[in-house]
Amino acid sequence: MADIEQAPVRATGHCLCGAVRIEIRGPLRDVVVCHCGQCRRQHGAPPSYTSASWPNVTIHGEKNLKWFQSSEQARRGFCRICGSSLFWEPIGQGRVSISAGCLVKPTGLRTVRHIFVAEKGDFYDITDGLEKLPQSMTASMA
Amino acid sequence: MSDRRATGGCLCGAVRYQIEGALASPSACHCGQCRRAHGALGVYTLAPAERYKIKGGRNITWYESSPGIRRGFCRNCGSKLFWERVGSGQLDVTMGSMDQPTGLKISKHIHLEDAGDYYDPPSR
Repeated sequence: MADIEQAPVRATGHCLCGAVRIEIRGPLRDVVVCHCGQCRRQHGAPPSYTSASWPNVTIHGEKNLKWFQSSEQARRGFCRICGSSLFWEPIGQGRVSISAGCLVKPTGLRTVRHIFVAEKGDFYDITDGLEKLPQSMTASMA
Repeated sequence: MSDRRATGGCLCGAVRYQIEGALASPSACHCGQCRRAHGALGVYTLAPAERYKIKGGRNITWYESSPGIRRGFCRNCGSKLFWERVGSGQLDVTMGSMDQPTGLKISKHIHLEDAGDYYDPPSR
């Protein structure tokens, strides 16, 4: 753990009210937009997620973070005060997806792909020319 | 007024709503507040006064995000549902919470000057 704690902070972020703050050390994955029905309802629109190794993520104000088990495989973390969506965690994989929207600019991140487009909502079109996958990513992309 | 009715609700089902009549084309908001709250764009249509009903309203937590403005989400599952100018009587409703098909399409992008840096915002 010592080497992780000494690694420079790659990004910081926080919810809308500031009750939950995060620091991420080490690499962040490129941003992926998820069009699945669960994400659409929980975020209110298709969300943009980066991803990091859990041990590289430090959470301040964790008592204000509420987890909702949204399926057998995953849970979603949001601020119980302002409702900001912060995390999607596939349980037991040692990684966590982080809402790109909570990160402080400049993020240095780019969106690279859309997933679960087979479940896309009808109120928008995807027009950015990026890769579109009908379902999930392969393990090598995660 | 048409006899259309839109329905929707949060991910866990603790909050449900219905809106009577035709709805305005949604707007997509790129502002920093929406980006943080939603982890996405804020995509909303408008439920006019006296045309909407909410079931399970006790499960909504309201957060005052600016003076006179509050955002409503389900306290159980965190789903973002509403944006309200307090006292206006009308309610902005997230398109993502609406049951499919909605029959609506985003017609306007706003606050593009405040967009996130990890995507290329549309030019309008």
